[in-house]
Amino acid sequence: MPVYQRGYRSWDQSTKRGAPPWWAIARRGISSPLGSRRFMLLLMAALIPAVVKGGFLWFSWKMGDMGNLLTGGWTDITAVGFHHFLNTQMLFVAIVTTLVGSDLIAGDKREGGLALYLSRPLSVRDYVFGKGLINLFYYFMVTLFPALAICIFGYLVTRGSTGMDMLFLIPIQTVSYCLFAGTVLSLTLLAISAMGTRKVFVSLWWVLLLLGTEAISQVFCFINPWLRVISFTEMIHNAGHIFYGTGTTILISPYASLAIVTAWGVGAFLVLRKKIRPVEVVS
Amino acid sequence: MIQNKIEVSGLNFAYAVQPVLKDLSFNLEPAAVGLLGPNGSGKTTLLRALLGHLNNWSGRINFMGTDISADGRAARKQIGWMPERGGILPGFSGVGMVAYLGELGGMPASDALQRAHEVLNFVGLADQRYRQADTYSQGMGQRLKLAQALVHDPQWLLLDEPTSGLDPKGRTAMLKLIRDLANDHNFGIILSTHLLSDVREVCSEILVLRDGNLLQHTKIESTVCTGTDLFSVEGTGETAAFILALENAGATVEVRKQVITVKLNSAQTVIIQAAQQTGFSLRRMEPVTDSVEDVFFNLVDA
Repeated sequence: MPVYQRGYRSWDQSTKRGAPPWWAIARRGISSPLGSRRFMLLLMAALIPAVVKGGFLWFSWKMGDMGNLLTGGWTDITAVGFHHFLNTQMLFVAIVTTLVGSDLIAGDKREGGLALYLSRPLSVRDYVFGKGLINLFYYFMVTLFPALAICIFGYLVTRGSTGMDMLFLIPIQTVSYCLFAGTVLSLTLLAISAMGTRKVFVSLWWVLLLLGTEAISQVFCFINPWLRVISFTEMIHNAGHIFYGTGTTILISPYASLAIVTAWGVGAFLVLRKKIRPVEVVS
Repeated sequence: MIQNKIEVSGLNFAYAVQPVLKDLSFNLEPAAVGLLGPNGSGKTTLLRALLGHLNNWSGRINFMGTDISADGRAARKQIGWMPERGGILPGFSGVGMVAYLGELGGMPASDALQRAHEVLNFVGLADQRYRQADTYSQGMGQRLKLAQALVHDPQWLLLDEPTSGLDPKGRTAMLKLIRDLANDHNFGIILSTHLLSDVREVCSEILVLRDGNLLQHTKIESTVCTGTDLFSVEGTGETAAFILALENAGATVEVRKQVITVKLNSAQTVIIQAAQQTGFSLRRMEPVTDSVEDVFFNLVDA
């Protein structure tokens, strides 16, 4: 019988099981921005530094000892270079996560969607996990995935002369660092999104946190070098020295930075616990 | 056999120190139940409690054999909720939103999509299903919200002001859908509304709340007096003797400005017999219909 003649019919359950709700949320949230051509162009632009780094890697291998002239900074193919590369991607992280993540919870709160989500058989944990995965995926899209691609490219181009570092050590370090940094960034963005209902408000606070605190700390560190602690991204970068086994260039210990960034993550988690409720409590 | 009942006992809830639900206890069998009460009486909060959305409540809510405080997720699989405000997710087409919420309800993606088409057709949105949901008119939005409540094929529907903001035609169509679900498909429906006429058209039971207290839970037909058991009578003669005869026959009698109101099953026969016995000349005998509105206002104003 055609669908328009059926009226209401009960669901004839198939034997297949549905996906976990957090996966449905994450899948939808990840696929939705990919429909925008501008966003795809932005993602491609975010890959340009990785392509350049891959080019440097190829040149330095081709030119033998002359290749050493090209090393240093984010183009370096050692652990230091990869750590630096991830830090230089922070501008793209700021843009991409602002576009994708700022309205993830704020939009649901604004449109009354949060209560609708939680009227389904899913928990607040499923909701936050699913939304968090969206931010994490796009953070990985501009940091981890290009870095891993460079590792594979480097290993293939140099025909294994970079040794196990490029095949195992740097990828493991990069995955660990990106998981840590991405989780904290994702939770923090969700927490800011949960605190408002307007995308503009959330975007402003997020950009201020990522780039504004960095700019402020750059100014004030001349007064007191310890004031670098203001910078959210600097603290993440500094904590990364632990993951890459490299030395810090600032006064603050990487372990202190790790503690500060972890505290950001815990704080964000507590905000989410408080703010994500199906019922708005008017006090 | 799964019990489709909702059992609520000793439900208390307060926002901060302001009590909203006070010691509510009732049992509901699958039927269309009207949830009535003035603004701020706790209707929406009660629906939220049934969904397991409230924290720090006390009492017990047993939803189809599942204690909602122990396993709210299992209970919510059997509930479709249609909120009064909001409830349209931004960035989705109609069919996309309903399918997405079906997936969140535990359905495989392919089943959810198929069901989304079916329920959108049922609510009359088949032609508009690919349009962006946030561009729907208010009437279409209400239908969409009903579709998302139905997509995972729940046993109970909690409808919060489903006809709010609808024009008369849209309201009639919405009520027809709800009536169809209750009568022909054995859904349990809790219809929270300010509109008593909606309850009269659809529901067989009412729950009346005031200030968080349950004033009444009853079947409409047992409360609302039909023309056979409530009469207004006027006449001349021995009024006192006539009233005594009626009371002796078991009737409840009220006299106001020479109008005698008699309440009793099959009152018509009793009134005629009493008049014959006492020589009371009947000038007027008229059935009085006590509507849902009368019942509601009597309860709330008491």
